Order: sequence, then structure tokens, then C-alpha cells
Amino acid sequence: MKKKVIVACGGAVATSTIAANKVVELCKKNGIDVEICQIRISEIESNLSGAVLIVPTSKVKRDYGIPVITGMPFISGVGMVKTEAAILKVLQGE
Amino acid sequence: MIWEALKKSLIVKEMEADSCEDVFRQLGGALIREGYAKSTYIEALCTREKDYPTGLDIEGFGVAIPHTDVSHVNQAATAIAVLKNPVTFIQMGSDDEEVSVKLVFMLAVVEPKAHMEELQRILSIIQDKAVLEQIAEAQDEETMIEIIKEKEN
Repeated sequence: MKKKVIVACGGAVATSTIAANKVVELCKKNGIDVEICQIRISEIESNLSGAVLIVPTSKVKRDYGIPVITGMPFISGVGMVKTEAAILKVLQGE
Repeated sequence: MIWEALKKSLIVKEMEADSCEDVFRQLGGALIREGYAKSTYIEALCTREKDYPTGLDIEGFGVAIPHTDVSHVNQAATAIAVLKNPVTFIQMGSDDEEVSVKLVFMLAVVEPKAHMEELQRILSIIQDKAVLEQIAEAQDEETMIEIIKEKEN
């Protein structure tokens, strides 16, 4: 079954595009069927249906009831391996 | 390649700025003058930076990648500023963590998905502290472009 992952940033312009691409590559490498929903932080609420994970590249203050793993390492390059492992754990642990 | 698209008129060395808004006015002004961005671009950058800051701490080197909604952009471009004195930005993903920024890569983005590869190339430059240090210390615009060219090859 396709796993829906929300990738969000302030304007869905640059950073979430990068993070979304990284999540797609990661899932492909690990045989996970993923559906990416790339949106603004302000649009998370209305796109939550069916989502199993949120990967924001900006701060998320609210609790949406599903795991949130920051996608910042995809931008800064620092801590990327750890982030990838955390994302896999959520998606494979389902 | 990023280096091929860089224009000397969009590179500012030794920029004297006292705030991130000041950087946006000067560097965003260059993008507007050259026709890449609309007159609303600077205001939009300032607003967005408050909600979604773009400072990054790359192993102790402060860099920022301000950008804003595609509706304020005419044509994709990257503008670069080396700040004479570092300016405080808030770190991306935080509310109040400050980072002292020396180098600014301002992105004018029109179609994020179509520019995926370019965005990734810019990030791979930004993630390399040694390259950032070289760009900050470059004597002139040609040298900066040359450093980025070498990094991309």
C-alpha cells in the first residue's frame, strides 16, 4: 500500500522540493511505495487524511497526531544519515 | 550548471548591510533591476523570512538562502552577496536560534519542480564549508564563479 508522506515548508518553493526529492529517492532505494504531498506548513491540516508522516523543513508547532521528522538535514547536509534512518523506521514499521 | 548561469551583476562583494532586511533590499533590488524579480519581491522576502527563516549554520559558517513565493518572480536566477560584516539571521527550522551570516544565496524560483536539479546543485555548494570560505574570500566576481565551477565539475 502507498504510504502518504507530507513534505512541507513555508512556501512549498525551494526547501520542501529538495526534501521531497530526497524522501522519494530514499523510498525507491528501500522498496517503499510512497506518495509525496508537497505543501505549505499552513496546508498540513487539510491534507492530513491518510498521511503517516510529516517531514517539514520549517518549524512545526502543532501536534498533528502523526510522527514529525524534520527535513532540515536534507538542506544543511548535517545529520542526513540519522534522518534517513528515522524516516525508514516510521515507514517500514507501519 | 549554476556557474554558467551566474551573472556578475547579481553578485555583490563586500556588501555593507546592517540587517537581513537591508540585505534583501540591496540584493533583491539587483534582481528587480535586472528584471528577474517583480517590485513586490523585497517586501515578500521580508515577510516570509519572519515566518520561515532561512539562515543555516554549516559547521560554524553562516549562510542564508532567502527565497519567496513564485508569484514575485519573473525569471529564475541566483544572486550572491558576501557581507562585509556578518548579519544576524534566524536559523531555518527555529524561532529564535541566531546565526551570524557571511554569505547570502538569494534564490529567485519560478517552477520548483522544473528546477530541482539546480536547487540541488546550489545546496551541494552551500553544504560545503570549504567552498563557502573560498567564495567569501574571493578577490572578484570571476574568481567566485570559477570556485563554483570547480565545485560543480
